[in-house]
Amino acid sequence: MKILEVKNLVKNFGGLRAVDDLSLTIEEGQILGLIGPNGAGKSTAFNCIAGVYPPSGGEVYFFGEKINNHNPWDLCKKGLARTFQIVKPFASKTVLYNVTVGGYVHTEKRAKAEEKALEVLKYIDLYDKKDMKAGKLTIADRKRLEIARALATGPKLLLLDEVMAGLRPTEVDKMVEIIKDLRDNGITFFVIEHIMRAIMALSDRIVVIHYGQKISEGRPEEIASDERVIKAYLGEEYGVS
Amino acid sequence: MWFIVEDLINGILMGAIYGLTALGLTVIFGVLKVINFAHGSLLMVGMFVAYWAVTLSGLHPYLALILVIPIMFFFGYYLQDIVIKPIFKAEKDVREPITVIIVTTGVWYILDNLTLLIFGPQYRNIQDNPLRGKMLEIGGMFISVPKLWGFSAAILTALAIYWFLQRTRMGRAIRATSLDRDAASLMGIKQYKVYNIAFGIGTAAAGIAGVTLVPFYNVFPSVGVLFDIKGFIIVVLGGLGSISGAILGGMIIGVIESVGPQFMTATWTEGIVYALFLLVLFVKPSGLFGVRYDW
Amino acid sequence: MTRENFQKLSAALLLIVSFGLPLVLRSPTYLHILILLYLYAYLTTSWNLVGGFAGVLPLGHAAFFGIGAYTSTVLFLQYGISPWIGMVLGGIMASIVGVIIGLPTFKMRGAYFALATIAFGEGMRVMVENIDYLGPFNLNGPRGLQIPPLNVGLANLMFVNKEPYYYIILIMLIAVLMLTYTISCSKLGYYLNAGGEEPEAAKALGVNVARCKLIAMAMSSFLTALAGVFYAQLTLFIHPKSVISLDLSFEIAFIALIGGRGSIAGPVLGALLLRPVSDFSRIYFGHILPGLHLIIFGTVLILVMIFQPRGLQEPLTKAYHRLLDRLTEKPAEKE
Repeated sequence: MKILEVKNLVKNFGGLRAVDDLSLTIEEGQILGLIGPNGAGKSTAFNCIAGVYPPSGGEVYFFGEKINNHNPWDLCKKGLARTFQIVKPFASKTVLYNVTVGGYVHTEKRAKAEEKALEVLKYIDLYDKKDMKAGKLTIADRKRLEIARALATGPKLLLLDEVMAGLRPTEVDKMVEIIKDLRDNGITFFVIEHIMRAIMALSDRIVVIHYGQKISEGRPEEIASDERVIKAYLGEEYGVS
Repeated sequence: MWFIVEDLINGILMGAIYGLTALGLTVIFGVLKVINFAHGSLLMVGMFVAYWAVTLSGLHPYLALILVIPIMFFFGYYLQDIVIKPIFKAEKDVREPITVIIVTTGVWYILDNLTLLIFGPQYRNIQDNPLRGKMLEIGGMFISVPKLWGFSAAILTALAIYWFLQRTRMGRAIRATSLDRDAASLMGIKQYKVYNIAFGIGTAAAGIAGVTLVPFYNVFPSVGVLFDIKGFIIVVLGGLGSISGAILGGMIIGVIESVGPQFMTATWTEGIVYALFLLVLFVKPSGLFGVRYDW
Repeated sequence: MTRENFQKLSAALLLIVSFGLPLVLRSPTYLHILILLYLYAYLTTSWNLVGGFAGVLPLGHAAFFGIGAYTSTVLFLQYGISPWIGMVLGGIMASIVGVIIGLPTFKMRGAYFALATIAFGEGMRVMVENIDYLGPFNLNGPRGLQIPPLNVGLANLMFVNKEPYYYIILIMLIAVLMLTYTISCSKLGYYLNAGGEEPEAAKALGVNVARCKLIAMAMSSFLTALAGVFYAQLTLFIHPKSVISLDLSFEIAFIALIGGRGSIAGPVLGALLLRPVSDFSRIYFGHILPGLHLIIFGTVLILVMIFQPRGLQEPLTKAYHRLLDRLTEKPAEKE
């Protein structure tokens, strides 16, 4: 079942075309990776899909429903959650409070929201820090908190925006494990990542974009040897002709 | 019919003075990205300094500028340095620190009431100054002479500030900081020094405005409040950070105030000014002229 | 004694003392001071719903105070409607106005929002000062409205002595504090805090930030209007400069900020600390040093913002918790 379908997505900012005719699909239970050089338009594409700003053109379908001009909070209730590249914890509140906010999506009761939050915290191994102020966490823990919050909303599709940035290799490996485990538990993932070791290990398929356009798509091995991708990342001189 | 033209001209003159009072506010916002709620109080301080300078020396009011400009510049410089800088340092990552607004409101209260304490609430004015009440007659219309002086002072000050920002090294540093403070400090520009100087310039502008007002306006501790709110209105109309916008915005207010009473009561005129303010805030917060920065 | 029991006991003691105070303190002057103290604590707590929980800086709340005062007074003087009903109607009016103001302004950034609220507050004052009649209602412009002290009694919220006023405002204060506490523990409270602190993240977590802020505004303006009615019935004279004044808006905000906005105890604490300063400096220094209390307010505000931006409640709460630890035993760790 196609969970996410993006058809000919276009996003213009004044004269700048940040996303140019992007199309992709994600099947349920897949992990789709999105890579590309800096400024390629990855976060913009995410923001269009997640409802932060409306697309200038094209359509986005979530479970077959067109979601072009939906609000982020409506999308969240429908099962589409996302994290942010620059983490935004509610710094003055405890870890538990942060995740409880997510837990309130499908309930009005505090007890239920907290219960869900504690469950997520135990799973993602942040339970013993639940009473710490979020502002005092290390960057790795903050990234996990981002994911924990999104998880508490009970998503079916989770958009992760560079969630590995700033993590040490061991932390990256741990994060990859967590994501794979979550996928086995039924969550579909759409991941933007720069850290190659992570994206190669995680993704079932990868989409590569450059200057807002899709330049390649395929399995990780295929992408790694695709000449266009190499040129885009490393420059014209590196292409094997 | 001539009355309208006369009102229009006087409105433009007074409006330029309003613009002058708001000039400091717009410069401070353009550079520091904060709205200085204490601006009216700074204007009031400028008026008091000018008043005492003239009363004690008996000189022409505009000669008081020699005293007023440096005094006000340093007052503003150190006010920013001592009171406001700590807040900036504490809230480094926030682009528009709201705490600074709160702090400047505190400064407003302190300045106004301290002045009240020291000088008392009575209205003062310079009775026998060479400008008071003088009118220039042009073709049957009476143009207020002090306002004419004020108009010239406003235009000159605006040009001077513009020239300073465009042509001097410090001016370029100020412009750079206002556009991107992190990049500017990476270039070796001392961010807080720039802030101090910008604040000093803004306060000095308020001082000049005070000098232009003293010949025909009463001086009393809460005089700043009226100009404070008008100042906000003017800078929003003209675009926060725009020098020409401040002068033009002031002129709009000045014209409304002087032509309006021909058609409706003075207080409804005041109401129109508020309504216009709210309209601009909702519809085009970047100002009527849409220009964000002049420089 | 366990911590929980200690807190319950202290709360009970506090209630007993506050309810019993008028029996001991007979002087109307002191009662009046206390009444105003509770009034300000009530006002700052109501303001806190928007200014603290929602994270914006409204500086025009006196407008709602005035709407309450004028609505009930006009209805009472012209139609003989009881101020209690006036409270409800004034509150609803204020809520509607609050939402209308909130709709466009909540989208603005901090400074613009603050300016817009000032503009609304002052604009309303100018309007009331210049209209004598709003439709069939007599507002009497700058001369204000006076309520003749006839027909005293509970039905008309008018009393000869101060005691009944004391109890009414005390009950109102307790009610609003309980309401604030309930909200802070509820979904709305969590959502407001989230939306106030990181709106983008909150939206991605299912929070309709704009709607929550409007709900908070509607509540806050309703409650503030009730206080306006109370004040009208207390002083029996209202005019634009006293009930729709910029000074009042600022004082409410200042006190809440100094005490600590966003917390429950903060606004009350602020009122408890600052109102006596205001009253005593006015009583004892009023002639020689007018406006002294405002200078003190301003200085305290600046110092607090530099050193304790979350308000004085932060260090005080920490000290309180340390005191509790020393006096009581901790309850067993819940697992």
